[in-house]
Amino acid sequence: MNRNRIMERIFWGTGNLIVIAYAIVPVLWIVSLSLKRSGDLNDRHFFPQTISFEHYQAIFLDVQFPAALWNSLAIAAISTFLAVIVGMFAAYAIVRLTFPGQRLLLACVLATAMFPPIAIIGPLFNLWRATGLFDTWLGLILPYMTFTLPLAIWILAAFFREIPWDLDKAARIDGATPLQSFIWVMVPLAAPAVFTTAILVFIFAWNDFLFAISLTSTNNARTVPAAIAFFTGSSRFELPIGSIAAASVVITLPVMIMVLIFQRRIVAGLTSGAVKG
Amino acid sequence: MNLRQRNERRLAWLLCAPAVTVLIGVIVYPILYAVWLSLFRYDLRFPEQRVFVGLDNYVSILTSEVWWQALGNTLILTIGSVSIELLLGFILALIMHHTLFWRRAVRAAMLIPYAMITVVAAMAWKFAFDPTTGFIDALLDREQAWLTQRGSAFLVIILTEVWKTTPFMALLLMAGLTLVPHELIQAARVDGANAWQRFIKIVVPTMKPVILVAVLFRTLDAFRIFDTVFILTRGAQNTETVSMVGYNTLLVSLNLGLGSAVSVLIFVGVLIISIVFIKGFGTPTGRRGEIDS
Amino acid sequence: MKLLTKVRLILVLAIIGGMLSSGCSRQKGEAIPLLNWYVFNEPSGAFSMAARQCSEASQGAYQVELIPLPADTDQQREQLVRRLAAGDTAIDIIGMDVIWTAEFAQAKWILPWTGHVAEQAKAGRLAAPLQSATYQNQLWGAPFTTNAQLLWYRTDRINTAPETWDEMIHLAETLGKTGIIQAQGERYEGLTVFFISLLASAGGSVLDESGTRISLAQEPTLFALSVMARLANSVAADRNLATAREDQTRLAFESGNASFMVNYTFVWPSAQENTPEIAEHIGWARWPAVIEGKPSRFAIGGINLAVSAYSLHPELAFQAAACIASVRHQQRAAELGGLPPTIAALYDDPKVREIFPFADVLHSTLRDAVLRPQTPLYNDVSLAISRILHPMRAIDPQRDVVRLRDAITRALNSEGLL
Repeated sequence: MNRNRIMERIFWGTGNLIVIAYAIVPVLWIVSLSLKRSGDLNDRHFFPQTISFEHYQAIFLDVQFPAALWNSLAIAAISTFLAVIVGMFAAYAIVRLTFPGQRLLLACVLATAMFPPIAIIGPLFNLWRATGLFDTWLGLILPYMTFTLPLAIWILAAFFREIPWDLDKAARIDGATPLQSFIWVMVPLAAPAVFTTAILVFIFAWNDFLFAISLTSTNNARTVPAAIAFFTGSSRFELPIGSIAAASVVITLPVMIMVLIFQRRIVAGLTSGAVKG
Repeated sequence: MNLRQRNERRLAWLLCAPAVTVLIGVIVYPILYAVWLSLFRYDLRFPEQRVFVGLDNYVSILTSEVWWQALGNTLILTIGSVSIELLLGFILALIMHHTLFWRRAVRAAMLIPYAMITVVAAMAWKFAFDPTTGFIDALLDREQAWLTQRGSAFLVIILTEVWKTTPFMALLLMAGLTLVPHELIQAARVDGANAWQRFIKIVVPTMKPVILVAVLFRTLDAFRIFDTVFILTRGAQNTETVSMVGYNTLLVSLNLGLGSAVSVLIFVGVLIISIVFIKGFGTPTGRRGEIDS
Repeated sequence: MKLLTKVRLILVLAIIGGMLSSGCSRQKGEAIPLLNWYVFNEPSGAFSMAARQCSEASQGAYQVELIPLPADTDQQREQLVRRLAAGDTAIDIIGMDVIWTAEFAQAKWILPWTGHVAEQAKAGRLAAPLQSATYQNQLWGAPFTTNAQLLWYRTDRINTAPETWDEMIHLAETLGKTGIIQAQGERYEGLTVFFISLLASAGGSVLDESGTRISLAQEPTLFALSVMARLANSVAADRNLATAREDQTRLAFESGNASFMVNYTFVWPSAQENTPEIAEHIGWARWPAVIEGKPSRFAIGGINLAVSAYSLHPELAFQAAACIASVRHQQRAAELGGLPPTIAALYDDPKVREIFPFADVLHSTLRDAVLRPQTPLYNDVSLAISRILHPMRAIDPQRDVVRLRDAITRALNSEGLL
């Protein structure tokens, strides 16, 4: 019996270690690349022999990366804010109110979640260049908030279903209008859900590459993923590996830390739609 | 009461209006515009020669070997990565669900690939497989330029895709595992069913809706694969996907007419996949699934 | 709620940031008109020196700012066309690759050169580079730098350079282990250049004289394809031919195990710096011919300076571009950056001859040079060619003549997918 226990512990321990290694090896690799000296980049060792911060210095001294970082942060934050607000209104209406077209709306929202972005990139490019939105923040914010809206509505709706709505009823019996009850009672109750949604939406906007390379062209609005892909190396045929690695670490770590802190909520958010339907 | 209902309805419309407006403005209108553009010869390099050509663009695409090659590549990548993800996802989900300790740490680790930007993940793997920079060749003690040959390039692309997205699959499946009634498992165990039988006879059927949703999500996602391929090979070595063909035609060639037709065809591909899933395996939503089983 | 406050804070910061940055640029903009010159990243500093000196010489009329583009031509084009299509006013002068002229002119993204500046831009230029900047009888750029491949070989292994491809392949096959020929066989623009040069050397061309219809005469095309197939299937071909670009072939040649290489002139200074012991034994000759007694004709590269149609200061941009492309700065670009000039007289200039000991061979190559097809659809045509002909070892001349014709015809109809 006791021996079985030990075997079991070893079994799951190994399993756990495999899972953790699976997740962490590429991250460690990019971190260690970013810390290698330029001359050591081709030494084919996993870990740096000598640690150096030269690549971090290099990317922050250049104009390209700080501009892209600022663009990424601001665009993702504004998109998140808008998507969550708009999504919250719609989710509340879908869950709490009855109106004609309710199911249709939800179905449409779900359908757009499956939509391939490449299908609208051409028209958007044409519209943006005609309206002057090309290479501006707004030009990226609009598609980001739109493409995350289904996700936001979906997750928020799933969470809203769980909220004790009796409080809402009580508030309304006390004479509050639906709007008042929404703002004063429901919003605070929904805050955790909103926060989860915000993180997921933020990650989407932060991660996007296709819109970023298609609808931007300069430091005006180019975000980090696009900037990394277009980093210009010093010599003609060389990829600036060190700079790419350092920039990758800078944009990966904050999100990763945020995700790890709020992991329980994020897991709930990611799976809510699928499991609860 | 009637007034109240009317008010409620008005509020509902009001609350939904911004979402509906944005969805129509940024998704519905552009896709209709894409359909419209796809009927024209419209190339930004010849701005004056915008001519209605009917379905010519579609004919031109469907008779082009480039398109069929790209579609084939996309299907290989989609089927290859989703099937590995499902298998691996189940293993990871079972570990996360059943493990006796470190449960939090393991679940947290699963979120790391999810939080890593796709471009960054692709770069990390690209450098890892690079014969001069990477550790993989050193590890395997060989000199192979993985991304310069079609077969091995596909392998690296699938690996990158699998690494990045399996955790999503695993988390969904893990959530599904919690739905499996414990009593059922216990009863089966009493009846003498072994672990494998319990898995096939009880766990999988109960989880069918979740599995379907997970696989559908990932299939649609993999079908539009772009970032990974763009970073790893840029379509060289014949690894071009349909999204890359769309991007190249629209934004590199600036051929908006032809490119829009490619976009529409990709959209149709997504529709077909969804329909196949929904008709073939039943509606993939939890509620219906519960009723069905 | 906390999040909302945070987001609001960020919004406020964003607005403040926006105000600050616009304030800064206004201060800078007023005094001297700023001209942005978009050109590939030139590491020697010759371009930035030209920009600075022309700005100084203008005595406050304009200030040229150099904005580097990616090194890869395809990526340069990708970024430029998207912005030009969007009517970006921040582009004034474009370092325009010779293959973009027709496309940019047709799309009305650049302005034609006329009058005094046009005369300046044409003065003393070699015919082929000048032709590369001309489309439909108008001048669209000032020829700035040019480039052509030569045949590089090991003088310690071969006495006289082979005249033709057949001779060279035969010779290499007899050399044994070191009998390797380095050429560019990756699926990219370089493969198209290889094919077009072979085709032109055999007396053919991709398009007819109208520039809109396909030519690809049977006989020369077969000749060109046979050379490619023969090379790729010979023991003299490098194992990595199918993935080789200019720089890989240079590195392979510098490693010493190849005896021949077709490549651009940048390999000369590189070999001298990296492997002086090999550089001692490097000889040069005209690119091999396809038909005996008929000198080869290479499809040149290089850049011309064009003025964007959306520039806010087109007049000044023309002046600045003419200055940058003038004798003095071409000489400097040759000296510092090793970029061959487009002004014929410079090939007799002692300083230039010191940098290019092969100046005479280069000059004669340029005199006989051809251009890649001058069509607005060049990008599609080139992709069609490199797609059909990659990998070279799979070329079947008889069959691929037909496939090439088909693919290029589709490209010319603006309907070839790529």
